[in-house]
Amino acid sequence: MPAVLLAVLISLPFWTPSRYWVSVAIQALILAVFAMSLDLLLGFGGMPSFGHAAFYGMGAYACGKLFPQLTGGGLLAFLAAGMAAGVIAALPIGALAVRARGIYFLMLTLAFAQMVWGLAFQWTSFTGGTEGMSGIPQAVPDWLQEQGQNVWPALRTAGPFYVVALTVAVLAFAGLTAITRSPFGRALEGIRENEGRMRALGYPTYRYRLAAFVIAAAFAGLAGATTALYNGYANPSQLYWHTSGLVLIAVIVGGTRSLLGAVLGAFFVTIVQLVISSYTEHWQLLLGAVFIAVVLFLPGGLISLGRLGWLRR
Amino acid sequence: MRLEARQISVRFGALAALASVSLDVQSGERRALIGPNGAGKTTLFNVIAGELRPASGSVLLDGRDVTSLPTWRRARMSVGRTFQRSALFPRLSVSENLELAVRRGALGGRRRAVPDRLAAAGLSAVAERPAVSLGHGEQRALEIELALACEPRLLLLDEPMAGLSGAERQAALARLRDLPRSVTLVIVEHDIDAVFAIAERITVLDHGVRIADGTPAEVRADPRVQEVYLGRS
Amino acid sequence: MNGLVFAGLVFLLAAGLSVIFGVMDVLNLAHGSFYMLGAYAAFAVVSRTGSFWLALLLGPLTVGLIGAVMELVLFRRLYQRGHLAQVLLSFGFTLVFVDLVRSWFGPRTYGIAPPPGLGGAFHVAGANFTKYDVFILGVSLLVGAALLVGWRLLKVGAVLRAGVSDKEMVGLLGIDLGLVFTLTFAFGAALAGLGGVVAAPFVAIHPAMDDNVLILALVVVVLGGLGSIEGALAGSLLIGLAYSFGTFYLQEFSIAIVFALMAAVLVLRPRGLFGIRT
Ligand SMILES: Nc1ncnc2c1ncn2[C@@H]1O[C@H](COP(=O)(O)OP(=O)(O)OP(=O)(O)O)[C@@H](O)[C@H]1O
Ligand SMILES: [Mg+2]
Repeated sequence: MPAVLLAVLISLPFWTPSRYWVSVAIQALILAVFAMSLDLLLGFGGMPSFGHAAFYGMGAYACGKLFPQLTGGGLLAFLAAGMAAGVIAALPIGALAVRARGIYFLMLTLAFAQMVWGLAFQWTSFTGGTEGMSGIPQAVPDWLQEQGQNVWPALRTAGPFYVVALTVAVLAFAGLTAITRSPFGRALEGIRENEGRMRALGYPTYRYRLAAFVIAAAFAGLAGATTALYNGYANPSQLYWHTSGLVLIAVIVGGTRSLLGAVLGAFFVTIVQLVISSYTEHWQLLLGAVFIAVVLFLPGGLISLGRLGWLRR
Repeated sequence: MRLEARQISVRFGALAALASVSLDVQSGERRALIGPNGAGKTTLFNVIAGELRPASGSVLLDGRDVTSLPTWRRARMSVGRTFQRSALFPRLSVSENLELAVRRGALGGRRRAVPDRLAAAGLSAVAERPAVSLGHGEQRALEIELALACEPRLLLLDEPMAGLSGAERQAALARLRDLPRSVTLVIVEHDIDAVFAIAERITVLDHGVRIADGTPAEVRADPRVQEVYLGRS
Repeated sequence: MNGLVFAGLVFLLAAGLSVIFGVMDVLNLAHGSFYMLGAYAAFAVVSRTGSFWLALLLGPLTVGLIGAVMELVLFRRLYQRGHLAQVLLSFGFTLVFVDLVRSWFGPRTYGIAPPPGLGGAFHVAGANFTKYDVFILGVSLLVGAALLVGWRLLKVGAVLRAGVSDKEMVGLLGIDLGLVFTLTFAFGAALAGLGGVVAAPFVAIHPAMDDNVLILALVVVVLGGLGSIEGALAGSLLIGLAYSFGTFYLQEFSIAIVFALMAAVLVLRPRGLFGIRT
């Protein structure tokens, strides 16, 4: 299934009717990275964060704040800065939040994220206030800008950033897959299933949870940096709790405990948000209703529909 | 491993769950900890394993004071335990359960030990099933095996036989009897036959107080124990 | 806005949130939406009948009814599935309600006038109060006092909560747990609705008004300790004061300071000021 999805995405610029669909795909891919990072925390680690936007936004703001310095370093410098910003914010926030569990964790992450948002929103001299920061370059590498279209003519209409977004998403998928399948990922699942037993088996569960929190934040920061590059700006709405809610919807609707599910959910949410919204004003109603239906009737998310035949576990 | 719990007191609000209870278990000994419901047996285990910080008193392992060490550190010092209510990883498969145990909190290898563990616990046939789908007997077997897979030198068993059928009971008993003397064993058990089959010494708790401590014969003859066990029921 | 008045308003919301959590263990993220519905109900009633007092009666009733239906039809299905599912469900409703309100009333901003007799302003101890400020304070104090007394009765529900997983036990006690939950949810919703009606004359009534308020109520409840009325009171006061202090002295940080305060309390007391449950 990942292979099919990848094939579809790689070929997208060939058969897409317009640049519009490419831009939808780019935004879906960015949300997919963001959603996968949350799934590491929520699905694998059992930590329901309602403040994941803090790290996404930090990634974007890092690009906004530092772009004069980062431009020399190119694309990688921006992406690395985004990840670093996620990590830096996640260390203190995680150190406190991870001590709590369940609903308390959810509320703490929400509160911390709103604190970050409050700073971005009000501390105008440092963050640009409501306006945020703009003028961030796309930082597409020169060779891709120039040669890309020769190798892959479809990019002429799609724009080279599609390659960036797709690459980031594929690498994030690969990286997070490796993490979830590693002994660390297994231990994280053990902690989700039964933390007390994990302690009794000798696992320092607090450190594991904090590590998961920080890793998830790094990938969220990566997604945030990508969105900042693509849109050219960082603004408070990227940090607002609606953004945390949206990515949570993506993960739940797609299906937790599955990175592919998160990707699926991200595409679903993006399509509702961007495409359906051009037909009806009430896309939030639709999204809310679908979300409610999934929570009630399909706890495994969309991905579980595909699994019905061959139960994995 | 030698275990010394010295004058442990634990309070839950107004309730004195443990009042200055001491427990001294020699290395390699088989000790039973018995007492009526609510006596404080599980609470004492929690203190020894590190889940509960006692209000006063100290816990020593091989002479080292570990009272302020967290659970996971004590586990890495080879303290293993089972839980009164099975504490498994419900949605993980049986072999994944054991894999987490054989790693003992580290991320290194040792997965090779898993098949042996499955066989020893008689769980090979259900290795790929999620733990939650096992029957009660199999869950208890896995519960014990999780503790054993850590190769503990001090093993705390909290009512390992509870709810088992006769045959399962025998199997569990055999498994415990086969443990090498490098393992110090403290077992909480209501099944008196099992207690007398395993234990070399018995400690009796009641209402958070240690009321007897000695060989099975001594404990059996102790008037206070008789009062607690016979007088009430 | 005066810090005290602000605290009073936030308390109305936090109290309902806390009651629902205390009895049912449900964190209701749709609480801000209930507040918004209350404010819109006030607008609808006042614009038709001109009577604020009628709105004060009908608003909480309507919202309470909505809450009761939600509990009966949906939340009930999820008690077996744990708290996260319920939180998520309530979050789904925030999206639904925002859009419903927008489709009924449009994206416009509305306002209503304070009821006659509560219009003017006066000075006390160097501070400016409007009469309506005093009204808000009065309502919140009244609700607070009533809750503190009534909470003991509601504790019945807290005891019952322990039985959610143990149906037989609850059956043996002969208590209809379902009814208790429905009533509790409706009551909490009605309190938020009341908050909305009371706030309506001095806030802008628009489809995004649920946002900040929900977050503030959450902060208060977390600060004070989930499920504790005393905590909700103390938390509201703290937040109100911190907020007005922030707006005066540290304008760029007035929002952040509120959350920083919460973080500080939680570091010292993970269950909040009055929280006991673990
Ligand atoms: N976390 C807790 N909070 C409050 N009281 C507790 C807690 N844990 C145990 N208790 C109380 O402490 C007392 C001792 O409990 P404990 O579980 O240690 O008894 P036990 O000897 O293991 O009994 P059983 O044979 O029923 O397992 C009991 O009265 C119990 O209700
Ligand atoms: Mg016990």
